[in-house]
Amino acid sequence: MAFDEELAQLQKLSGEYEPEATGPLVGERQSSAAITTEYANADPIYRIKTAALPAKYAYFRTCRGDGHCGWRAIAFTYFEALVRVGNATKFTEEEARLSSMHNLLDSAGFPHDVYIDWAEEAFDLLRELAQSLRNEDGRAADLLLHKFNDLGTSLSIMTYFKLLASAWVQSNSENFKHFVPMGDVKTYCSLNIEAANCEIDNVAIVALSEAIITPAGIGFEIMYLDRSPGEEVNVTPFSQPTDHTGMPLPNPPVIRLLYRPGHYDILYKAGDFSPTVQHQPVQPQTPLHVALAAGYHDSFIPVDSNVDVMTMIPGMYSTGLGQRWPPVSYDFDPSPTPQAQMTPVQPYAPTPTPITSVPSTHQEYMSPVHASHMAHHNIQLEQPPVTLPIHPPRPPPLSIERSPLTIERGGPFRPSIYELEPGFASGQVHSLPFQTAIFRNSHYNTAHFLNPDFQPEEWSPDTEYSTANKGKYKST
Amino acid sequence: MALSTGTRANGGAATVAQRLQKELMDIMTHPTPGITAFPDDENMTRWTATIDGPANTPYASLVFKLSMEFGATYPYAPPTVLFKTPIYHPNVDMSGRICLDILKDKWSAVFNIGTVLLSLQSLLGEPNNASPLNGQAAELWDKDPAEYQRLVLARHKTPEELDAGGL
Repeated sequence: MAFDEELAQLQKLSGEYEPEATGPLVGERQSSAAITTEYANADPIYRIKTAALPAKYAYFRTCRGDGHCGWRAIAFTYFEALVRVGNATKFTEEEARLSSMHNLLDSAGFPHDVYIDWAEEAFDLLRELAQSLRNEDGRAADLLLHKFNDLGTSLSIMTYFKLLASAWVQSNSENFKHFVPMGDVKTYCSLNIEAANCEIDNVAIVALSEAIITPAGIGFEIMYLDRSPGEEVNVTPFSQPTDHTGMPLPNPPVIRLLYRPGHYDILYKAGDFSPTVQHQPVQPQTPLHVALAAGYHDSFIPVDSNVDVMTMIPGMYSTGLGQRWPPVSYDFDPSPTPQAQMTPVQPYAPTPTPITSVPSTHQEYMSPVHASHMAHHNIQLEQPPVTLPIHPPRPPPLSIERSPLTIERGGPFRPSIYELEPGFASGQVHSLPFQTAIFRNSHYNTAHFLNPDFQPEEWSPDTEYSTANKGKYKST
Repeated sequence: MALSTGTRANGGAATVAQRLQKELMDIMTHPTPGITAFPDDENMTRWTATIDGPANTPYASLVFKLSMEFGATYPYAPPTVLFKTPIYHPNVDMSGRICLDILKDKWSAVFNIGTVLLSLQSLLGEPNNASPLNGQAAELWDKDPAEYQRLVLARHKTPEELDAGGL
C-alpha cells in the first residue's frame, strides 16, 4: 500500500517534471554539421540520417524547447522568409492581408480589443523590417532575431498566430472536423490551439500553412528526424504556393523545420541565403593582379600543418580526401555574392560539401576563425566551370570546405605562394579584386596557361632554403 | 521569465499592467451582472472579485469573494484564483483552492478576468464531479440535494462576516 502510494507519488512527479528550457528563444544560424556531431554517438539510424543532413540543409537554428518551439519556429521563419524575399512592399501587403483575416477572429469570438494588441505587435515588426529593407541598412535579419528573443514580443506574435490558426480551423471546420476528436472543432481549438501552453500539432500546422504561409507565397516543409527506416530525414511538404492560375511559383522562399520527436528547430538550404543583391552596392572591379603583386617575397610562410600535399594528388589516398576531385557540384550554392554581406551575425559556417562530412573537421565548421574562409569559398563557387585543353580533367576547385586551408586550388600542383600567401586567409582583400569576368580567382585559373607569356613558378633549390635568412638573400 | 517592461511608443506589447488596466476599463464600462472585480492597489497585480451564486442552484443569492493574483507572464499564464469566502463545492478545497482546467493547463491568453469569473460562476451550478477536490460534496450533489444545500449554507459566510473575521 505504502509502496503504491510512493509509486503514485513518483508517477505524479515524473508527469509534472519539465526540464528547464535553456538557450535563446531563437538561436543564431549555424552549420547543421552541429546536428551531425550531436548524434555522433546515437543509434545508427540517427547517425546515418544526421550525417546526410548537412549536404542538403546547410544551416540550422535552434528554438528553445519550452513547449512553444513549433509556434515560434513558424512565426519566426514566416518573417524571415519575407526578409529573404527582400521586397519592402510585400510587408505592407502582408499586413493588409493579415488584417483582412480579423473578421475570422471576430467570428470565432475573440474580443477585438484583446487580440489587437498581439496583431499590432506583429504589424510593428512587419513595418520595422520593411523600413530596414527600404533603408538598405542590412539590419533586418538582426532586428528579427532580436525581436524574437524578446519574450514579450515573441509571445505576442505567437499568440496572434495561434488565434489566426484557431479562427482558420473554426471557419473551415468542414475540412478539419474529421481530424479532431468527436468532430468538436471549437473545443479542440480552445484546448489544443488557443491554450497558452500547448505544443503545436498537425492541425495547427496545416491551419497556419493554409492561413498564413501559402497565401504569402512561401513554401513550407517539415523534415522529420526519427527512428523510422531510411537514410535521410522524411520530408513532408505543407505549402507549395501557386500563382493565380494555379501554377507553382518559381523559386519561392521555403520555410523548413526540423522535427525531432517533441521539438522543432529551423533548417535552411545553403541557397536560402543567396543574398539579395539589390541592397548591396556592387563593388567596383579592380584589376586583381595589382593587389596580388605586392609584398609576396617576404611573407610566404609555408602554411598550416594540415596542408598535406599528398592529399592533392588524385588517387593518392583511396578514401576521404581523395574523393574531392571528381564530383563537382554547383547546385548547392547558386549565390552570386559571398555570404559575408548577409548579416554581421558571425560565424556562419561554410557551406558543406556534397560529400558526407568527416567528423574530425566539425570544429572547423563552427569556429569563428574560419568564417573568412567561407566567403572565400563562395567566391570560388561562382567560378564558371572552365575546361581547358591543357588540364581538361581538373576543373577549378569546388568541394573543398572540409579542411579550409588545405586545398584552395585547382590542380595537382604543389602549393604556390600565390595561393597560400597568409593574407589570403584573412579574407579582407580578395572579395574585391576577384570579380573580373574572366580571371576571377585568377591565381587558380588554368586559363593562364594559354597565355604565351605565361611563366610558371619554378622551383629553385637556392631560394627554397633561403627563407630563414632572406634578409641576407635579398641583400646579395 | 519577466516580460519586457517599459511602454512601447506605438502601443504594441501590452505589459501586464497595461493589459490589466485595459481589463479594468472594460469591466467598469461594461459591467457584467453578478460579477465585480477591482484591483487591491496601484500595481494591479492583486485583485478582489465577487461572484453571485447562480439562480436555481444551491448557491443562489449567496455572494462569494475571491482573490486574483497576476504573475509577470500574464496573460500568457493564468492568474492564481482563490475563494476567500468558505465554500462547500466539489471542485474547491477547504482553503479555497480551485480545480478548473482553464486556470491550469487549458489557460489561454484570450481569457481575461471577466471570462474567468463567468467560468467560476458556471462551475458553481455545474460542478465537475468526476475529479473532485471535495469528495463528499461530489457524492452528495446527486445523492442528497437537501443535505448538500444545508452544508453549503452552513459553510457560507457573508462578506460582512468575513470582514468581521479579519479577512
